[in-house]
This record gives sequence, structure tokens and C-alpha cells, in this order.
Amino acid sequence: MLQGASAGLAAGGLYAVIAVCLTLMARLVRVVNFSQVAIGMFAAYLAVIFAEQHLPQWAATAAGVCVGAVVSGLIGWIIAQWLPEAGIGARSAVSVASLLLLVSLSFILFGSKPKTFKSLLPGPAFSMGNVVVTQVTVVMVALALAVAVGCHVLLTKSKIGTKLRALSERPTTAELLGVPAKGLSIAVWAGTGLISAAAVSIVAPTQTNDPISLSFIIVPASAAALLGGFRRLDLAVVGGLALGMLQGALAQFEQMSVLRYWVPFLIIVVFLLWAERKEVWDVAR
Amino acid sequence: MLRANSLLARERMKPLAIAVACVLVGWLLSAVLPAYFVFLGTTAIVAMISLLGLGIVTGSAGMMALCQLSFAAVGAWAVSWLNSVDAPGGLVVWLPLGGLAAAAAGVVVGLPALRLRGVNLAVVTLGFAAAADLTLGKIQFPGTQTGIQVARPDLFPGDRRYFLFAVIVLALCSLLVHYLQASRWGSGWKFVAFSERGTASAGTSVTVTKLTAFGAGAFLAGVGGGLLSGQVGLVYPSSFTTIQSLALYVLAIVSGSYLIDMAVLGGILWVLVPELLKRFGISQDWGFVIFGALGIQSLTTGSNLGADLRAMWWRRTQRRRKSAEAPAAADAARAPAVPDAGTKVPAATSQTSAVPAAVRRPTSSAVSGAGALLSVRGLSVTFGHVTALSEVDLDLTEGSVTGLMGPNGAGKSTMVDALAGFLPQHQGTIQLAGQSLNGLSPMDRARLGIRRTFQQDRVPPTLSVGAYVRFIARGQASDERVEELLRFFNCPPPSTQLARVDVGTRRLIEVAANMAASPRLLLLDEPAAGLSHEEHVSFAEQLVQLPDRFGTTLLLIEHDLDMVRSVCNDLVVLNFGEVIASGQRDDVLANPQVMTAYMGELEVS
Repeated sequence: MLQGASAGLAAGGLYAVIAVCLTLMARLVRVVNFSQVAIGMFAAYLAVIFAEQHLPQWAATAAGVCVGAVVSGLIGWIIAQWLPEAGIGARSAVSVASLLLLVSLSFILFGSKPKTFKSLLPGPAFSMGNVVVTQVTVVMVALALAVAVGCHVLLTKSKIGTKLRALSERPTTAELLGVPAKGLSIAVWAGTGLISAAAVSIVAPTQTNDPISLSFIIVPASAAALLGGFRRLDLAVVGGLALGMLQGALAQFEQMSVLRYWVPFLIIVVFLLWAERKEVWDVAR
Repeated sequence: MLRANSLLARERMKPLAIAVACVLVGWLLSAVLPAYFVFLGTTAIVAMISLLGLGIVTGSAGMMALCQLSFAAVGAWAVSWLNSVDAPGGLVVWLPLGGLAAAAAGVVVGLPALRLRGVNLAVVTLGFAAAADLTLGKIQFPGTQTGIQVARPDLFPGDRRYFLFAVIVLALCSLLVHYLQASRWGSGWKFVAFSERGTASAGTSVTVTKLTAFGAGAFLAGVGGGLLSGQVGLVYPSSFTTIQSLALYVLAIVSGSYLIDMAVLGGILWVLVPELLKRFGISQDWGFVIFGALGIQSLTTGSNLGADLRAMWWRRTQRRRKSAEAPAAADAARAPAVPDAGTKVPAATSQTSAVPAAVRRPTSSAVSGAGALLSVRGLSVTFGHVTALSEVDLDLTEGSVTGLMGPNGAGKSTMVDALAGFLPQHQGTIQLAGQSLNGLSPMDRARLGIRRTFQQDRVPPTLSVGAYVRFIARGQASDERVEELLRFFNCPPPSTQLARVDVGTRRLIEVAANMAASPRLLLLDEPAAGLSHEEHVSFAEQLVQLPDRFGTTLLLIEHDLDMVRSVCNDLVVLNFGEVIASGQRDDVLANPQVMTAYMGELEVS
């Protein structure tokens, strides 16, 4: 069971990184980006194609990640250009359409079968007793923590962070004060696209990695982000890691596999019912 | 009168006639189309029925539901199971049962949605879709292992006959959707999409409204899924994947499937696009790429096929009507204006025939001996460290018109919110005719007879004037009464679409609609904002008559002193959340404190 939980930690790290990206997006550019993992998936698959063109693995991965950032920035540009004042619902709906577009495009470009990803980080890092911890696990957990801490510091300590927060809380006022709203929004999109593409590229070799399975990692990741209410980065990280470990532990029991599928959904439902137990209204007045 | 009745009857028969005509066309198609197209047609009909359901949830009620095909799978599963246990009745009975099973699933998934909106609901439904997808892959549908095919109805064997059966089911589902959309439920769905506060203030439960939308949408998906199991015999999970649910959701947005004809068109696109790609030897996966791109286009421009086509049609008929009416210039001016900013729909009549000869000022609470209808004691509201209202006392006599005044930020709208039940955390007591309102929801208060209007526009543009008034009135007003009230307030006729009415007139319609509910107390939050000076004056004349004509007590927030002078007999003035003066109008207006707090500000501006 411990081995299972440890094995789930790599996935948990990915959930945590994506949850942090989702939280940043929801806070800064008012989007729940359903295509967040799909962008990473697209980038990871591109890296495989690039590697097949006899590019070194690291260069292929870097190129894939860059394309991921550009694709993400492109979606961000579309939303910033045409839906600058729209609510989070309408903006997020665009990301549902882009999720559909990216998954279908991957079917066309890469086929629907899982690819043989070359592992970037092969082998175990260390073992404690009979529990083996892989390199991927260590890197993913570290990445999740680093991204969360880094983003927190960036938002609270730097000048650009102040501008970003101004943009998130009062977009129109911020723009009137000379904050370049569109440019910053696109930068946030590209930045989160870059991070999620890198994270997916690292974990993809160790996961069921057909386009659909990868893209729908968005479900546990958004469950984790919900634990932080799409506002708190620390809870998003904790939620992601815990969810991964829980799923890993449950995977040890064959008879519980159906339950494992429902874990993210159940967590989402229970959490939302708790968080919104008091009556709230759609608008302030 | 007779002619009007026969017109009305004809209007009521129209959907039935269209449904019968569609079945006839379906029968013809089932006879003449090549076998392959007949089979594709059935697939399209399954998609159409699911799209009709999505039209309710997504199009009308404005909720993001990403698991429509999971509900269809529940319906298909139920039908397959009923078939495998050889349940009585056959597919004709199993179909609605499958729909009900899906509706039950929809309500369960929708339960957390009671207080969730928009994106959170999308996360829940996507989670449900993904989990259902994986689970179906694991457990399979009943009968697939043993190879027991779902039996088709005896009357409809073979693909051609079954296509006709599908057309009949589609026609029935369309009729159901048509009547639901025209019912209170349908108005509620459109209302809740626009404003939950507005829905609750109309005495309608937001929770029930959302659940009915979710249940109805899932029911239709379940029927679609059941129909599919009859079509293919053995059902496999590959028909209900999450990615297909997403595609269907996007297609519902692109086509505008809350309109029945557009759901039909969407279903045709659902099979036509992949079929065309196949003909040209292009990968069918491009189909979803196309849907995705169209979805982005449709979402970013805020338009859909149905709305665009209807707007085009409306402009054409308007142009035709205008050119026909050109000689009678006076009549032409009466046609509803295009919803450009700034244009206004002129009132149907500038003079109200309903105004009685003698305009009587309502009774003053200070003078009359009648008991207080509303009694507020020690009402305090705080937001964090900000005190919005502090120890406010207020008495409103039955049949009085009281003005609530105060500079911006004085707490007037907070007061209305607290009275209407939107601030349950307030302190102090509120009583309506001796009954305590503390702890009652906005919906309960509305049903007890406290109605309110909003400072912001809370009139859903997707409804017609008549549907809006009937929804707000909650069955309290007959058609004649609705028309009388609309005429009384110089509002456009019931058939006008609210989207084509300017904001100022919408406020009048809001007041008329709330009066149609025969409330005991009506709270008006700056109802005259957006009206011209002439309209102001005539609106004031109308307000004065309300207590006598309809027995309603009014609390009016208003800045316009002319209006306050001509309408109110009592005044309450708030400043910084405290009552600084209350009593008879002229005494209050002469109060020096009021002068500095309120008039001073006016003089400066």
C-alpha cells in the first residue's frame, strides 16, 4: 500500500503542478482552463515527433515545451482579444472547445494509440525500506513545490506580481492605470502552458499516455485546485499530492479500481458541498 | 373576440400540426432514402434528442454540462438491462424508463449544482463524465457478453421502420421541449440563467429551477441513449465517450440548440460533417477539430447559428412590414425598434385609458389609524468592519407610499436587500403584518407578498414581455389583467421580445410585472432611472394610484425630488446607515439635517 502511495506520488506531483497552473489562471486571467493538460499533452507528443527526427531528447523536449507555450499563448490571445470583459464561465467554455480541438488534432497528427515516450528521468532515486521512490517522483514533487513557491513570491514580492494582482482584481481599473492587460494575460497563458508542458513531458513516460488519458488528468487536477478554492496555491499542491497518493494506494486493490475512477469526482462533490453550504448569490447585489 | 379565440386556438395547434407534418416527412424519407442514409438518419436523431436536452441545460438555463452522453449511457444501460431481464412493455415503455433513470442520475449530479454555478458545475460534470467513461469500459452494458440484442418494437422492425419510430420519438420529445419551454419551468430556466437573485425575488426556487433543467436535459439524453440501443442492438461504451460529450456540448453552443429546429440542424451536422470527411477521404477526427474551431468562434463572438438566422429573418420581416406600412407613417413609428443602444420602444399608448378621473393621494401613515404592514426594529447590517445599516427602525402603514432617501452609500439598497431576504445575517427584527420574516429566504418572502425591483437590470432579454410578466406574477394575474397593467404603465404589448425593449422601459415592465403578482408591499429601487423627464412625470402619476387601485404599499428609493414630492406622503432619510429623519414628507424635507446630508450634496452637484 505504501509502495502504491509512493508510486502515485509522481502522478500527484503532476496533479499539483497543474492545480497550481489552474489556480493561477483562475486568479489572474479568470479562466478555468480545461485545456491545461491537453496543451501539455500536445507538447509532449510533439517532442516525440521531434525526437524521431533525430533531435537529441533534451532538445526535442525543449522544442515541444516551447510550442506548448505558444499554443497556450495563442488561446490566451483569442480570449484576451474577444472576451476581455466576459465572465469566467464564458471564458472557460472557450477552453472546453480548445480541449476538444487539441485532442482531435492529436489524433490526427499522432494517432490515438499510446506513444513510446523516452523517459527523461529513468530509474529509482532512492529507496526507504521496501518502498522505492523514482527520480520522476522526486522531480515532480520538487517541481510542484518550486512552482507554487515561485509563483507566490513572484505575485507578492515583484513589481510584475503587483500588476498581475491588480489585473486580476480590477481589470478595467488596472488597464486605465496603464497596466498592459492583454500582454500580461497572454504572458500568464504562455507561462502556465510552459510549466504544464514541462510537467506532462516528465511524467508522460510513466503514465497511460494516449491523448485522452493524458488530457483528462485535468479532472483530478481541477479537483486539487478546487480544494484550494481556485485561490490558494498551498492547498492546491497539498490536494494534488494527496489525491495522487490516494489513487496510487487504491490501485493496489484490483477490486477497487472502479472506486478509483470515482475518487476525483467524489472529492469534487463533497468538497463543493462543504465549501458552498451557505447560501451565496450569483452577484453582490 | 371569436376571431381572437380561433387565432389563439390555431396558435396552440401549430406545434402539433408541425409535429405531425414532420412525422409524415420522416415516413416519406424512411421509404425513399437509401438504407445507409436511413441508418445515419437514426444516428442523427439520437444526437438531436441529446442536443434538445443540452439546449435546456446549456442554452436556456445557462449551465455548463459536459456529461450529456454519460446521461445517454445511463438511459442506454437501463434499456439494455430491461431488455436483458425481458421486462414487459417493450422498447416503447423502456424508452421513457431509460429517460427517467437518466433524469435521476441528472438530479444526483445536479444536487451539488444547487448552489454551484458556471465553472464549478463544469468541473463536476466533467468529473462525472470521465469517471462514467472509465466505469463503462470496465463493466460493459447488459447483454453485450451474452449477445442479447435489444428488441425493437414489433410495429417497427428493420432499419427503415425503426427510423420512422425514431422520428416519432423525436417529434414527441420536441413537443415536450416546446411545451416545457413555454411553461413556468421554461421561463424559470431562462430567468435563472440571467439572474438568480431575480429568480428568488419572483418567489421561485433557484434550486428547483436548476434541478428541473438538469433533470429534463438528462431525461432527453436518456431517451436518446435508449433509442440508440434499439438501433444498434448491442451497446458499447465507445458511443458515450467524454470527448464526444464535449463535442456535443460545443455543437449545442454553435447551433443554439435551445431552439428546436437548431437542435435538429445540429444533429444533422453531427453525422454530416464526419460523413463528408469520409467521402473526401479525410480523417474523421477533423470533424471534432472543426466543431472545436466553430465553438471558439461562436463563444468569442457570443453568437450562434440559430440566433443569427432568426435575427436575419426578423430584420427581413421588419423591412417588409416597414415598406408595407410606409404610407401610414404614424403606424410605422410604432414598430418595435432594433435593439441598438439608445433607441427606445415607444409606449403602446401615450395616454392611459385606465387612469381614473380623480387622482387621489394615498393615505399617510402618520394620519391613518391602520396598523403597520411592515415593522422593522433595530435592523443592523455589517459587512466586515463596515456598518451599512445601524439600528434602523421603520414602520410602513398599509396603503402608504414612503420614500427612502439618502446620499449614495447611505444604505438604501442594503435596506431593500435586507427586507427582501438577501442578507440573512442581519440583526434586528422584520415583521410583515405581525408575522416575523427573520430566517425566511427571499423566495419565501416573495411568496408572502414582499416584492422588489432591482436597481440593476434583472429582466432577462431572452423572454417575451408576456412570459416575463406571467413568470413574475406566479399565476396571480389573468391574461386580461396582465394586458391591463402593461397598458397602465405604457409598456409594449406582451408578444414583444424583451431584448428589443430599451432599459428604461424594462424598468417599467419590471414594476408592472411585480404589480401583477398583487404584492402587499412593493420595494422599488430607483425604478425611474433611465426614463426621460416626461416619462418620469407620467410614471409618478401611475405610482400614486397603485395603493388605491391594487391595495399595494410602496417603499420607493428615489433621488428625484420632484418625483418624491409628487408621490410620497412619508419620507425616511438615511445617512451613513442611520435614520436621520423620518415622518411626513414636508416636515422631513424641511429638516436641516436632511438639508445638509442630502440637499447639500444636490446643490454641489
